[in-house]
Amino acid sequence: MMRQKFHIDFIGKSKIFFCISLGIMLVSLILNIVCLPTLVDIQFTGGTIIKYNYGGEPSHKNIEKIVNETLKGIDTLKNEKVDFSYSENLAASADDTTKHIVSLQFTGNKAVEIEHKQAITDALQKGYPKNSFEEESSTAVDASKGANFFLKCIIAVSMAAVIMILYVAIRFRKIGGLSAGVMAVVALIHDLIIVYFVFVLFRMPLNDNFIAVVLMILGYSLNDTIVIYDRIRENRRKLGPKVTITEIVNNSLNQCFTRTICTSITTIIAIGSVLVVSLIYGISSIISFALPMMIGLISGSYSSVCIAAPLWVMWKNHKDKKTLEKRKGAKSAYASKKSSKKAEKKETSEKTEKKETSEE
Amino acid sequence: MKRIGKPVFFIVFVLIAALAFTSIFGVYGENGDFDVTYIKGIKDIRWGIDINGGVEAVFAPADGIDADETQMEDVKGILDSRLVGQNITDYEVYPDYEHDRITIRFPWKSEEKDYDPDAAIAELASTSELTFKGGTESSGEVLLTGKDVKRAYASYQQTSNSTNSMEYVVGLEFNDEGKEKFKTATSNYVGQQISIWMDDELLSAPNVSKAIDSGSAVITGNFTSASATSLANKINAGALPFKLMVESYGTISPSLGNNALQAMGIAAIIALALICAFMLIMYRLPGFIAFIALIGQLSISIMAVSGYFTIFPSFTMTIPGIAGLILSIGMGVDANIITAERIKDELWTGKTLDGCIRNGTKGSFSAIFDGNVTVIIVAVILILIFGPANILSSLFGVSTTGLIYAFGYTLLVGVISNFIMGVAASRLMLRSISGYKFLRNKRLYGGAKS
Repeated sequence: MMRQKFHIDFIGKSKIFFCISLGIMLVSLILNIVCLPTLVDIQFTGGTIIKYNYGGEPSHKNIEKIVNETLKGIDTLKNEKVDFSYSENLAASADDTTKHIVSLQFTGNKAVEIEHKQAITDALQKGYPKNSFEEESSTAVDASKGANFFLKCIIAVSMAAVIMILYVAIRFRKIGGLSAGVMAVVALIHDLIIVYFVFVLFRMPLNDNFIAVVLMILGYSLNDTIVIYDRIRENRRKLGPKVTITEIVNNSLNQCFTRTICTSITTIIAIGSVLVVSLIYGISSIISFALPMMIGLISGSYSSVCIAAPLWVMWKNHKDKKTLEKRKGAKSAYASKKSSKKAEKKETSEKTEKKETSEE
Repeated sequence: MKRIGKPVFFIVFVLIAALAFTSIFGVYGENGDFDVTYIKGIKDIRWGIDINGGVEAVFAPADGIDADETQMEDVKGILDSRLVGQNITDYEVYPDYEHDRITIRFPWKSEEKDYDPDAAIAELASTSELTFKGGTESSGEVLLTGKDVKRAYASYQQTSNSTNSMEYVVGLEFNDEGKEKFKTATSNYVGQQISIWMDDELLSAPNVSKAIDSGSAVITGNFTSASATSLANKINAGALPFKLMVESYGTISPSLGNNALQAMGIAAIIALALICAFMLIMYRLPGFIAFIALIGQLSISIMAVSGYFTIFPSFTMTIPGIAGLILSIGMGVDANIITAERIKDELWTGKTLDGCIRNGTKGSFSAIFDGNVTVIIVAVILILIFGPANILSSLFGVSTTGLIYAFGYTLLVGVISNFIMGVAASRLMLRSISGYKFLRNKRLYGGAKS
């Protein structure tokens, strides 16, 4: 006998898992629509953000006044509105000149010209000669370029998905690879949606970190799913065709469970260390990729075990039923012509039954 | 099973240790006064501008000019020489011929504290056309342009009106055509002024006393050593065929970058220590070997990023690159976890240790193989789309190349080195080390008491 620590009926509980996933998505979606609109980084929409760091305690109102007055003097920026947001650099000591950060986001989606940016910098430095205003970072992206990049990412992800389905279909043809590949992709879409909602709920704008996280989670979740499929393939070979698909998948999931957990833990350790250290240092660019990556990772492991495999079992059972019905139908047609009407009735009633089950 | 010799473990271990040490610290020597790099370490890695700070700008022809491919080539060449002229050698230039865009990225110059990236970008984008005009008006007749200049250089010479003071000037040598033009021009304008312009900026307006046929000229003005050199560089780089506008730009200050770098180092050490502890507790001896293999895998990844041997160029490491590295660490540990779990399973069936290791490694291979190959497929697609090959460039243009490419690259390298270290080397080590009598207790492999 195999050493098996777990005896969890993953397939039997699949409805609970589906409900959990759908529930989380639904709640997130409602929050997304009602009160937490998606933030999209200027990398995709186009626009300008300038960040300055400074020391001391100049009043926020006055900073805004200086910037707005400078803008009024520039023809092309007269009607631009600027959103100001303030933060603190946690790593800097209190009297450091880089302690405070002000971020200027221009609401238009055009790139602010360099000489105009310099005018704003000059005005701030003139207005606060002692607070050493320094430009920490600036980003200005033209709208068309941002949209292009986003589209390209989507195409890259879709291409990867299609080729992966093909690979899984070929490698796992003995257990019906095409459907397995499709279900793996369904699990990936599940993870993608979860990562998206992490960005929405944590108020992080979608940027190229988002793309990096999505790609990383896709790779991880995919590997997870394939390890499980591999076990299913092996068990099918060992146990023969008599054992039901539900039993085989359940056994395989339990056999792989320790591995799934341990791999997740080590990977979470790696990302968690990055996240914690970045939080201490206050490196926002890395936090915004480590946090969603960690949650996405958990989602990736979860979706392989609780979404891809049960869905695939459902699909398989559904198909088996269909072929069984076909055989039945053929048999009854082969029988006496008199009873053919009865058989037809039976078939239609079975079909409606099947519809009902699939709708559940 | 063919036994693998006991010393094999130590050979592999020493090789991995050497690899790890050299790839992290590099090998440097001294040759007289020069520092020589034999093997590049972590400090030779080129960090992307999102980590280390730097400048990125996308240029497009101004006023809706539709540039052809040769013009774009010219622009690229001129930008190349301007960057070198600004003493920036560590830059990347991506021309996009379909959409007439040129993307430039360069890291912050670490030695310069008050570096002004805005001025640098503006200087790169300027047309920088040198013209000699008749009279002192900008609308004057164009007599010569920068194209007639063979060479420009900064020089230091006595001022013309006083014998005691010296000044910086820019010397010009004309080519044959320029020599003729200059001769005609100076003979036409004897007793009048000729003005020398850089774009719309008047540099100087000397009086012509007689026709000059020497084929050389000197631009005076209130130059400093730096401004004279800069002007000479501009003239040598040549003029752009059209004005460039800055379509988008990004600057990240290096202070942010230095923090990030230090933080990543600390995070890496913490993560490795925790993973090591976890693997030892969960899998004991195979866990220990998995950790050695992980160090080996990381070393190969670092080698691939830093270039290792000096003949290979180093790779630009970005935040998505770190994401790829983390994923490959996950995959690498995973390969060992799958194998160790299998061996554990086998041990509980009561077989001999050797048989269990053999069955365990054999049984786990297909899962590791399929999992890694699918991830390789994803990595290759990303490299093809976002890397230099840029298979979708006809649709999207080259300017969208960049950060994501690093993810595909580190992931691909990580997965390949996983096959070398996480699969091949760790199996060799496990089989070899299980030959030692005192290490044959099944409990060391996660089995029951034997």
